[in-house]
Amino acid sequence: MKQWIQKKGWKLLGVVLVLYSILMGMMVPLHSGISARHPLSAQAGDTTVLEIEGYNTHFAQAQDHLRVWLMLGDQWTLSAEHVAVVDERHIKATFILPDLLPVDQQVGSFTLVVDNPIDGVTLLPEALFVRQTQIDTQTAIAHWPQTDPMIELHSGPALTFPFRNILRETIRNTYFHVPMWFAMIFIFIGSVIYSLRYLRHQRADDDRYAAALTTTGIVLGILGLFTGMVWANYTWGRPWSGDIKQNMTAIALLVYMAYFVLRFSLEDNEVRARVSAAYNIFAFAALIPLIFVIPRLTDSLHPGNGGNPALGSEDLDNTMRLVFYPAVIGWTLIGYWMSQLLWRTNKLKAYLEAYEDGPPQLK
Amino acid sequence: MYVRLATIAFFLFATTNLLSAQSEQTDFLRQTGMIYVVVAVMAIVFLGITIYLFYIDRKLTKLENQISDHDQNG
Repeated sequence: MKQWIQKKGWKLLGVVLVLYSILMGMMVPLHSGISARHPLSAQAGDTTVLEIEGYNTHFAQAQDHLRVWLMLGDQWTLSAEHVAVVDERHIKATFILPDLLPVDQQVGSFTLVVDNPIDGVTLLPEALFVRQTQIDTQTAIAHWPQTDPMIELHSGPALTFPFRNILRETIRNTYFHVPMWFAMIFIFIGSVIYSLRYLRHQRADDDRYAAALTTTGIVLGILGLFTGMVWANYTWGRPWSGDIKQNMTAIALLVYMAYFVLRFSLEDNEVRARVSAAYNIFAFAALIPLIFVIPRLTDSLHPGNGGNPALGSEDLDNTMRLVFYPAVIGWTLIGYWMSQLLWRTNKLKAYLEAYEDGPPQLK
Repeated sequence: MYVRLATIAFFLFATTNLLSAQSEQTDFLRQTGMIYVVVAVMAIVFLGITIYLFYIDRKLTKLENQISDHDQNG
């Protein structure tokens, strides 16, 4: 038993980590959010009734503790005069907008803030645009209404994933789409190591390992591409938007597919092993700029691109890290396991081919 | 094998395009905070791994046949 854990434990670990990421990824709820509001704009000085639609909210349960604000900039807050609860997901908040806004523009962009003890605080930036006919910042500051201050905000349930209006529940794809690419990178790194080892020692086994790892890497890459296309279809509007990262990864995968074209076209085992090892190193050298460098030089729909560092706290909060990193490790281990199965099969095939007259005694 | 893989890839591609052609109201995958998009993504991952397993399975079957052929002849 102890020996088995030592030898096969990493496979079990991979399964456990992926299972954990599926369970956590699917069962942890989203934080409450504001999914819609109406109207979108109002006139300064008006009394406006804002209809608010929440997501994962418990407005009816938290009825007596419900607080709603409009916020202009960081310091100008305006609490709702009256809040009427329709149901768990819908409220109507009445605001008396002041005649003048403390901004030197025609239009002030208000952030909507809803707070209650059950769901915690949720924000919707640019929720309401308020037009003012004249601009007088001094008077506006002097006459800003004294309403309930925005203090003692609640944090809500501890274990939640962030609510994003475009993503909604699909934020969970972070644990199923992104680890495909991470695992692919790690598997390709392993493949390059075996190719280098082949060039050093000329062992056929290393070549077979490199080929098996590359196959798995391409499978993971194709899965990453397809899962990304489905996700993009519902969040970016189209499966393929010609996004720089989509295009570059497609090119990288084609470069890797050429590795197999090369392998099939070479007859001699030793030549094939040597040429494909060299090509594999070239393909990896091409992969790094295609995936990590070029997408950062221009704008991309992917988060963490266009100059920003990837995996910032905006895109991946601490709860998400708790699920995301185990998923990456788990998928890498499972990818390695799948490559090992292919490698062992190819090893047996080579073993049988080495004895054309008949297979030797298989122990 | 490769033709079959290409066919499956084509159908996956065609399905994504078909689903995108539907209007937003009638679209099943857009309901309930788009949770079914996550289900679709997980199904694709599972399908991909299954196809890969079939590929390895086929290779092993060939080897098994090779061994049993030899046993019958020899």
